[in-house]
Amino acid sequence: MNLSDKVTIPTQVMARTVGDETVILDLASGTYYGLDPVGARMWQLMNEGQPLAAVCETMLDEYEVTREALEGDILRLTEELRAKGLVSLA
Amino acid sequence: MSVHYTEQPARPLAPVQDVPFHQWAFPDGTLWTQFFRQGAGYLLRFPDLADFEVSADGARVQGYPAPGVTSATVEHLYLNQVLPLALSRQGKLVLHGSAVDIGGQGVAFLGESGRGKSTLAASFATEGTRFLTDDGLLLEWVGDACAIIPSHPSIRLWQDSEDALMNPDAATAPAVSFTSKSRFLAGQGIPFCDESRPLHRVFFLGDGASETPTIEALRPAEALIELVKHSFLLDIEAREMLMRHFDDLTRLAALPIYFRLDYPRDYEALGAVREAIVRHALDPHQARPQEPA
Repeated sequence: MNLSDKVTIPTQVMARTVGDETVILDLASGTYYGLDPVGARMWQLMNEGQPLAAVCETMLDEYEVTREALEGDILRLTEELRAKGLVSLA
Repeated sequence: MSVHYTEQPARPLAPVQDVPFHQWAFPDGTLWTQFFRQGAGYLLRFPDLADFEVSADGARVQGYPAPGVTSATVEHLYLNQVLPLALSRQGKLVLHGSAVDIGGQGVAFLGESGRGKSTLAASFATEGTRFLTDDGLLLEWVGDACAIIPSHPSIRLWQDSEDALMNPDAATAPAVSFTSKSRFLAGQGIPFCDESRPLHRVFFLGDGASETPTIEALRPAEALIELVKHSFLLDIEAREMLMRHFDDLTRLAALPIYFRLDYPRDYEALGAVREAIVRHALDPHQARPQEPA
């Protein structure tokens, strides 16, 4: 997996915000994942079909963070979501 | 309930060519239910027991017992498994849970099979508190509030709970052949509430590790995850319906009514558990502050 990858979201996976948390759920398997607001923003941009590199560019404009740290965070989150079956690589 | 059910004559459960799009199995891997598409509708197969054909809109169900399986067994499967699934196909919100009426308020107990939902409801009922459902918790929005709709007036119990809780004279429905649970009909000694009640508290039942009754509030995101885990859903691939279901659950999760309840699984301790629940349910200070919309 690298930053040129795009992710797709399986049909039965969806996210909702409740309180100050976002929950991603696979309604078929019951698998779930909680996101903080930064994670939720990554999820939203990934959902728009952009490659991870574009997600990173957008977020660099929005958050005070180094490119290196943000790239690491995006790849780590994507890998965790992929391992749980909540996203697949396009 | 708005499902038209008819039982058909017994027929062999013929092999199905298609691959099931979903299935339920017991923890030991034994197959319990297979979900097939059949035309626009669904075929639900309980291996060696029965087939149920459910129309695409969930409004009509036909039950076909396997040869030698009693009507009581098929009716039992219908009421406890198929009816909640059919209602979910109609867009209704159905959860795995029991509920009782405490002071005119609906108090629900959600948990996986074996966590004690029915036992707790029966324990309340035998002490004179009316029950609303012992499984298949049907919820409906009425304006900004959510109500519990009463379901079938019976309670199913495993033999050990039956021995501990039930009067030997309590009326039972005919025995069913796939489970050692008995089904008790509401009546004298097991009062049933046949009117809807506002959903006032939802307790998710813990694993029994706690030595005394303990009640802890859940965050909305935790409640949402638990609500999803305890949902009946017939078609896990119908995306629009899933989205609506998830929206419903998200709206539900924002209510300040969710708690985790744990207590030792000891019949002698049930009195103290009931007391803790009643005290909590009637205490206006126990509600979690409402989340901003």
